[in-house]
Amino acid sequence: MAETTTQTAAVPAPYAEDAVTAAAERRGEPAWLVERRREAARAFAATPMPTPALRPWKYTDVTALDIGGFAPVGQSPTTVQGTPPAGGFAGSLADALADAAHAEQVRQHLGTLVPATEGKFTAANQALWTGGAYVYVPRGQAFEQPVVVTLDVPAGDAGAVFPRLLLVAEAQGEVNVVLRNTSGDAPLLAPGVFEIFAGPDAKVRVLVDGRWGDATQEFTTIRSRLDRSADVLVASLALGGRVVKQTTEALLEGDGANSTIRGVALGDGEQHFDFVTLQDHSGEHTTSDVAIKSALAGASKSIYYGITRVGETAAGAEANQENRNLLLSGRAKADSDPVLEILTSQVIRCGHAATVGPVDQEALFYLQSRGLSSRQALQLMVAGFFRTVLAGIPLEGLEEDVSAVVVEKLATAEL
Amino acid sequence: MSEPILELRDLRVSITEHPDIQIVKGVDLTIRPGEVHALMGPNGSGKSTLANAVAGSPAYKLDSGQILFKGEDVTAMTADARARMGMFLSFQYPTAIPGVTMVNFLREALKARRGQEMPAREFLGELRETLGTLKMDESFARRYVNDGFSGGEKKRAEILQLGMLKPDLAILDETDSGLDVDALRTVAEGVNALRTPHIGILIITHYQRILNYITPEVVHVLVEGRIARSGGAELALEIEENGYDPILRELGAVEEVVS
Ligand SMILES: Nc1ncnc2c1ncn2[C@@H]1O[C@H](COP(=O)(O)OP(=O)(O)OP(=O)(O)O)[C@@H](O)[C@H]1O
Ligand SMILES: [Mg+2]
Repeated sequence: MAETTTQTAAVPAPYAEDAVTAAAERRGEPAWLVERRREAARAFAATPMPTPALRPWKYTDVTALDIGGFAPVGQSPTTVQGTPPAGGFAGSLADALADAAHAEQVRQHLGTLVPATEGKFTAANQALWTGGAYVYVPRGQAFEQPVVVTLDVPAGDAGAVFPRLLLVAEAQGEVNVVLRNTSGDAPLLAPGVFEIFAGPDAKVRVLVDGRWGDATQEFTTIRSRLDRSADVLVASLALGGRVVKQTTEALLEGDGANSTIRGVALGDGEQHFDFVTLQDHSGEHTTSDVAIKSALAGASKSIYYGITRVGETAAGAEANQENRNLLLSGRAKADSDPVLEILTSQVIRCGHAATVGPVDQEALFYLQSRGLSSRQALQLMVAGFFRTVLAGIPLEGLEEDVSAVVVEKLATAEL
Repeated sequence: MSEPILELRDLRVSITEHPDIQIVKGVDLTIRPGEVHALMGPNGSGKSTLANAVAGSPAYKLDSGQILFKGEDVTAMTADARARMGMFLSFQYPTAIPGVTMVNFLREALKARRGQEMPAREFLGELRETLGTLKMDESFARRYVNDGFSGGEKKRAEILQLGMLKPDLAILDETDSGLDVDALRTVAEGVNALRTPHIGILIITHYQRILNYITPEVVHVLVEGRIARSGGAELALEIEENGYDPILRELGAVEEVVS
């Protein structure tokens, strides 16, 4: 007879509570943060990996992913560039914590919108992030130029990075933030957590420009909380990576708040994209608009699962959801599932649209009849397909930049 | 005599998705450099099918026959290869391409046609000039291809492309339909400006009025996928006057004799 043994799954060193605590102390972090790291490490140990039985993970099976096998790459290679207005801040979380004028704000907000306990990846991030960025916009102030947060993992560096952003915009504050992520071709895991607090009438634009290498797996939670008449746009470019899974949520709590979520994914080879969105309306006359588009070559895949939730209190809410997928090759696949959860009997307006299919053959012929090869025609059409969701993202040269990536990637993609 | 620009030999065309339905049932046609031919015929007789098949649309299948363009057999060539050789189709129903601006599109098309990038300044100069001759506002170039264009704007945009691409063969499929009197004149002048001793033009139309501006050497009448009658410019006038009935009746008579 086999011997019965009790076994607790061992948490590998860098993710274990002791190691997490020691690392935090070595970095000289304040006691409260060390304590939160410790809690996160415990949550990490206690939280099982999500399984496809959970709807948001239905098409992205991570049960075989061993997070513990990805050791942190060391101090995360992040830089933050930005010139804050008087009283504002744009820099690393570590610098903000060392600054008496900002440490308290950070303490009050960090990890409160995306608690470490809510999932395996958020717990890992909270336990181990380094090089996170902090952006603070004081009341009535505006950043004149976009804040640029660059996470540039050197080619050859394998392991894990934990992208982290805390953005706090006070009433009427305005800021644009661009997060640029790049990596080489070594296996990399990137569980990210971005928290965005938008005060009354604040205007916030965040662009996540993801150009990971071929073996990077990203799992990110982006959540924003919108106060009265706040206006938040979160846009994501998924142009690289092996797996990119992003959960982008907007909590529309204040009356009149407006959320815009945009996403663009360009796939080839075995690339796998998975977008989950939540537009959670609780304030009156709140508005939200989601548009996510993917163009898929090779055997790439894109999954969209989006929920529009209109709560009891959200009279006069307006919500829109759009997900469009262009299959550029016979092997590409997409699954699209926009969901409405209406919990109010108040008058509201909700719309959703989802499409999966090949490019418009008539348009293709039209372009070919002007001399463009089918590949050139597709390059132009895909760039155009994306352009319609990129319009409205206030970043100079973005459309041209994305078009250039489309042209380059589709020059060799399997169509 | 110089080599034909376009020569169709017993062209038979069916629909790719319904290969059992033959639309064009044996058409022979020769257009020489400098010539304008008009193709008329009742609705559904196969004019657009013929035009699209000549341009290389994958929506249509060649059952038999040959397409020679500038002496070269292009029957097996893709649409883009034909276009780069200098073939141009002005579409009866131009397709909208959201997100692609006219200016980007024209740049790419010109690059493909000429085999090399054109200096930006030269390109923009030429674009402005062509827009000017067609009395089109410059803001047009920044709009998405055919997206939200009015019927007339679409037709002008086709002629804008024609003017920029300077093809050797232009097939104009009802480019005159839906144009107001002034627009018709502008478009016709745009076409005439391109006429050289080298270009061949096939004008598909239901109306005599465009032929007042662009006089055809030959007028063909397509009926049920076959050229039922060819004649001089006066044939178009005759049709304008009497409709297709006399031709159809004559055909009927011939068929009756045969059967
Ligand atoms: N892709 C297609 N699928 C199905 N039927 C088609 C297709 N293309 C053409 N047809 C049919 O073939 C016939 C000829 O059509 P075509 O468009 O060539 O006519 P036309 O002479 O250009 O007519 P019009 O003067 O109305 O433009 C019509 O009966 C039409 O319905
Ligand atoms: Mg027609």
